[in-house]
Amino acid sequence: MNIQSIEELIKHCEQRNKSIAEVMLDFESEKSGRSNEQIIEMMAERLIKMKEAIDTGLSDRSTAPSGISGGDAILMTEYQEKGQALSGSIVSDAMRFAFATSENNARMGVIVATPTAGSAGILPGCLFSLHHNLGYSYEKLVLGLMTASAIGYVIANRAFISGAAGGCQAEVGSATAMAAAAIVELKGGTPMQATQATAIALKSLLGLVCDPVAGLVEVPCIKRNVIGTSIAFAAADLGLAGIKSQIPCDEVIGAMYDIGRNMPRTLRETALGGLAMTPTGKKVKKRIFQDKNQMGYEK
Amino acid sequence: MEFKSCFDIIGPIMVGPSSSHTAGVVSIGKFVYDLIGDVPDRAEITFYDSFAETYQGHGTDKAIVGGLLGMETDDIRIRHSLNHAKHNQVEIIFHLKGTCTYYDHPNTVVIQAEKNGETITVGGVSLGGGLSKIFLIDDKKVDILLNTPYDLEKLRSYRRTSSTYIPLVGS
Repeated sequence: MNIQSIEELIKHCEQRNKSIAEVMLDFESEKSGRSNEQIIEMMAERLIKMKEAIDTGLSDRSTAPSGISGGDAILMTEYQEKGQALSGSIVSDAMRFAFATSENNARMGVIVATPTAGSAGILPGCLFSLHHNLGYSYEKLVLGLMTASAIGYVIANRAFISGAAGGCQAEVGSATAMAAAAIVELKGGTPMQATQATAIALKSLLGLVCDPVAGLVEVPCIKRNVIGTSIAFAAADLGLAGIKSQIPCDEVIGAMYDIGRNMPRTLRETALGGLAMTPTGKKVKKRIFQDKNQMGYEK
Repeated sequence: MEFKSCFDIIGPIMVGPSSSHTAGVVSIGKFVYDLIGDVPDRAEITFYDSFAETYQGHGTDKAIVGGLLGMETDDIRIRHSLNHAKHNQVEIIFHLKGTCTYYDHPNTVVIQAEKNGETITVGGVSLGGGLSKIFLIDDKKVDILLNTPYDLEKLRSYRRTSSTYIPLVGS
């Protein structure tokens, strides 16, 4: 079996009458020689690490060493507990879980890259919100990770998943697209609906540049993860409603690749453009690195 | 098709903050550690392009040194690896450069590591999501994806028999 495109992935699903998650499980088993049980067990280990990262983040009010992030997971939780969140409990839980994960990442805590560390908040945020609000079991969430991995696998091999290569669209864009597909399948949608949600989510984030202030994975990365969860749920709802992307998913991924290739170097994780070069962005960089620049590194 | 597994996408389990600038770099450092079979006495590390611009914010310096000391991607000691190196009397020197002429990618690093008077040069590229590739060992172009099994003993013996070692980098 080969999965070189979303079209091919869908074809496998339809031929075998299986979900994306099940096809990815077969594919991984065929490629690695591991049994389905072993793969599930390995994926479950990652799910547990995701949960631990969320729990750590939700109980940590400290700021990251940079002083420009930290504590927002708790603020969001306090707000959400009042029951007044406009986006409802599913999205606002996903947002605070994403905050928790990404803040933990910024503190150099342990996280799981999904598909990258800079975008590690989105998928766990969405999955554990489904667990929290709809009671989806961990077994089910592991299948959600398989669905997401299939989408990420195609994107990573057809385009890119790093901000340095393709901008933030390659990281937060890919993660959001992966999460949207996982949500659709967990909610009982078809593989076709899942990949429509993928295309819609990715289209919403095309062109997003990677412009981290001071080169840190904090501003704007953390809040882009948080907002990414809301896009994932919105795109999933569209997919489940039977709404189609007019541009096929593989072509959207192709567009993402072209846009990334044309993106100037200053906007691809070099911290030389965008928000990184705003007056405040520059001030933050100066403050954080004024001591470190005396470490004797040549430039 | 460089990404080969669902675990290349969901994973690695790692310390933050960046899969390409932290975890992928730990793996490159760990490859050098495994190849030498020990912690080097001294290492000169050259970061290129995006690595050179953002290594401080992403902990790329801590990541490469952590790997050279034998740490895995999820080792929480990575955040203090520079101190660990100092403590173990491993001399570390960093260089920052623009575009890497040996490999066309913004996330490249070249390491010259020394152990018992012998020097080895390793070039690595972090492809994203924590996946890395070794593209240079001494003066030989190689293509070793670190998510694929490789034979360390073979690499070592191959290296010992190649007599024309001319350092490509750092000269």
